[in-house]
Parts: sequence; C-alpha cells; structure tokens
Amino acid sequence: MMYIVFIMSVLYVVGFIGFSSKPSPVYGGMSLVVSGGLGCGIIMGSGGSFLGLVVFLVYLGGMMVVFGYTIAMATEEYPETWGSNVVVLGAFLVGLLMEVFMIMWLFSGEHELMGFYFGGLEDLMVLGEEGFEYVREDYSGGASLYSYGFWFLAMAGWMLFVSIFIAIEVTRKRY
Amino acid sequence: MPYIYINIILAFVISLIGTLIYRSHLISSLLCLEGMILSLFTLNALLSLNINFTLSTIVPLILLVFAACEAAVGLALLIIISNTYGLDYVQNLNLLQC
Repeated sequence: MMYIVFIMSVLYVVGFIGFSSKPSPVYGGMSLVVSGGLGCGIIMGSGGSFLGLVVFLVYLGGMMVVFGYTIAMATEEYPETWGSNVVVLGAFLVGLLMEVFMIMWLFSGEHELMGFYFGGLEDLMVLGEEGFEYVREDYSGGASLYSYGFWFLAMAGWMLFVSIFIAIEVTRKRY
Repeated sequence: MPYIYINIILAFVISLIGTLIYRSHLISSLLCLEGMILSLFTLNALLSLNINFTLSTIVPLILLVFAACEAAVGLALLIIISNTYGLDYVQNLNLLQC
C-alpha cells in the first residue's frame, strides 16, 4: 500500500505504451482514458485533488469525448487491436520489456533511495498565532488564476475564442 | 518521489516516439500528441505540488487550455482530410510527392 503511487505511475507508462504502439484509434483512446485516470490518481497522491478533478472533467470529459466521436467518424470496419497485429503486439511487448528493465534497474544497485517517501503532502500547515491552519495548495493556486494571473486568464480566454473561429474557417468547404 | 518523475518523463518520451512514427491512421498521431500533453500536465502538477509553490499551479491549467485549442485545430484538419479522402490514412497525403 505504501507503493501505490509508484505502481500507478508504472501502469501509467504501460497505458502510454498501449496507445503509442498504434493500434486502431478506438483502442488508443481507451488506453489514453485509462492513463488519464491513473494520472489523476498520481496527482491526488501528492494532495492535488483540484488538479485531479481538472484532469477528469476537462481533459477526459472534454477533450477525450471530442476525440471519441471524431474517431467514431473516421474509423474502419475491422479495427486492429493489440493481439491481432504482430507489429502492434511487438511494439507493446518491447515497451513493456523496457519498463520492466527500468524498474529492475531502479530497485537494484547501490544508489540510495533519496527522498523515496510517499507521505501525503496534502495540506500546507501554517503556524498561526493560535493553533494551526490549513492551506489547500491547489485550490488557492487555481483561484489565483483569477487574481494574480489575470493576464493569463485574458489570453487563454481570447485564445479559446479565436480558436473557434479558426476551426470554423478551416473546415469551410471550398468549391 | 524521483521514481515517479522518471516514469512520467518516460511516458512523455514514449508518446513523443509514438507521435513521430506513422502507421496507417493520422488520428493515432494526434492521440499520441494528447498523451504528450497529459504527461506534461501530470509532471507540472506534481512539481507544483511537491515544491509547495502554490502560484505555479496556474501552469498546468493554462497548459490544458492551450492543449484544448491545439486539439481543436488538429481535429479540424483531420475532418478536412477525412472529407476529402474518405479516411484519414497517411498514405493518402501524397500530393507533394514527386
């Protein structure tokens, strides 16, 4: 249980190998969704519950849904999966072997495990005058987007607005 | 903790290799591009949380906004290719071939 975040990061890499070995995009999208969920778990292991929620809502729930129905539009009749094509299976096995060798290299040898702690650094304890107070790091960081990072917010909003017009203009039919 | 960083950087390199190597579909490369952005987001978020620098939590959020715009433009280009050629096979993109 102590190593749960490390195991999640290993499965994260395995998920990345899964869609990087290029099966049919349907299976690649599924592997990316699994990796996104594991990435959320890794971030929450360091106490970032807001950023984990952002991964699920914005990334998986927004962008992957769009990818999902675009894939459904441009897919083929017999999608190839990891077991049906020897090229995809070979690439997946090579990546898996690389990951296993890396883990074996990490956990052997004489280098000391510096900083190998998995304590949840969830709250930043502030020593006040009376008692202790807690600061939620990622919530206050996300909220500072609207106060200190107002220019970031303005540029990001303007960019989203312009990219809608870019997408409309790019997909206009020219006859 | 550094072992988790190694895994996430390794995931970035794996999806970078996946972006640069084409197989039949173009959308698989776009999917690997999304994987690169996911690994960058995870790395940024972990670094911001573990060095306790609260203000840099803005960086993963802005990265996600830019990634959404880039995915939109990439998918729009894919739609045009799919409308012109029927499918998004990479071997169809050979107009500039001599």
